Amino acid sequence: MSYEYLKFGKEEKDFIAKIEEISGQNIYSCYQCGKCSAGCAFSDKMDRTVSQLIHLIQIGQKEKVLKANTQWVCSSCLTCSVRCPREIDVAALMEAVREYCLREDYEKVIISEISKEALDKLPNIALVSNFRKKTG
Amino acid sequence: MVQYSYFPGCNLKTNAKGFEETAIAVSKKLDAELVEMPNWNCCGTVHTLTSDNIMKRIAPIRVLSRSRKHIETLEESQNQIVTLCSMCNSTLKIVNNEVKKDQEILDKINYQLEEDEETYETDMEVKHFLEILRDIIGYEKISEKVVNPLEGLKISPYYGCMLLHPEEAKIDDEEMPDVLESLVESLGAELVMSPLFKFCCGSFHIVDQEDIVASQVEKIVEAAKRRGANALVVACPLCAYNIDQQQEAMAKNSVVKSPIPVFYFTQLMAIAMGEPVKINHFNDHFINPEPLLKELGLIGRKKAK
Repeated sequence: MSYEYLKFGKEEKDFIAKIEEISGQNIYSCYQCGKCSAGCAFSDKMDRTVSQLIHLIQIGQKEKVLKANTQWVCSSCLTCSVRCPREIDVAALMEAVREYCLREDYEKVIISEISKEALDKLPNIALVSNFRKKTG
Repeated sequence: MVQYSYFPGCNLKTNAKGFEETAIAVSKKLDAELVEMPNWNCCGTVHTLTSDNIMKRIAPIRVLSRSRKHIETLEESQNQIVTLCSMCNSTLKIVNNEVKKDQEILDKINYQLEEDEETYETDMEVKHFLEILRDIIGYEKISEKVVNPLEGLKISPYYGCMLLHPEEAKIDDEEMPDVLESLVESLGAELVMSPLFKFCCGSFHIVDQEDIVASQVEKIVEAAKRRGANALVVACPLCAYNIDQQQEAMAKNSVVKSPIPVFYFTQLMAIAMGEPVKINHFNDHFINPEPLLKELGLIGRKKAK
């Protein structure tokens, strides 16, 4: 069996503090019961489930967190937030990870690359909500 | 007649015109008229879940402040703003709750609104039209107005996320709601329960990750059809668009056979109350509900005298 040694220095602590600041949640409230992942409508499309991502945040693994697709598959339906036994706003944590990326000058959706037909076809409710979630 | 200040939101004027026109028509019939507020802006559709972003909270507060002014001009109106779209409902409700609790945020937002000579004093209440139907009008009065019971329609309610989440904005119990169920029954239709009544449709991923929406919609529709539903009822223009449009796309690729139409709850009410068919704007739908309604004899029948 091989072990992976985790670094837990200033960078990791800063990352955790930033996520907690943006979301307003205490990341260590989570005791990893997995109820959020079990009830998530999108778990099958995530490379790390919601509770796994929370665990990675707890141990400050910034790179792995930002590489996961979890936060970009989450659609903020808030099922996890209303069910969490520790009353964590889980969706707010996903939003915080998204915002962390977007605030570092990163765009998930580049509006100029969306085709004209798509822009004509899609309802404005879809476009506005998408851009609010996926552009900085 | 009681009047309500009504906030349409972006979609009710574009691809959900049928939702708005039927709602206004039935609201007049039920003596609770929806009057559109002047000079409204988009509420932002999704509420920001961040704790520190004030900018994304300004738009909903501006809506509330303008609605407050609008109420002065209405008859027998209480301080209530009514929405039809479930996303507007949740966005407005959440921000309204936040500023009621936190004076500091309210002060900052009011400082921004000063430029437009607006100010908000936390004296508004946000209501979804379904809440008005349930709590103020009541199902009894609705069924009294039914002249064309929806016999033969087997309807599965699909709530989507924003009617039931989060805690501060929900209009009914988040795990066992019954508002759409009771409404469907009071219109004389058969009720079909589906376990995926709040299984998210994929929402805004339709713009850049359509495959996610397709997979969600397939599950939602299959679950309803397997239990015998021949139509879905929704309250959210985005759910309606996603389910409707994706079903059509999948029918073309023959992933889904026999797609089922998606109705807004007010369209069902308008049909049951004998309103003209054209206000439903069925031509905006991808899966046209008219063939089903004609087959069941609910529209296009000459009235017996």
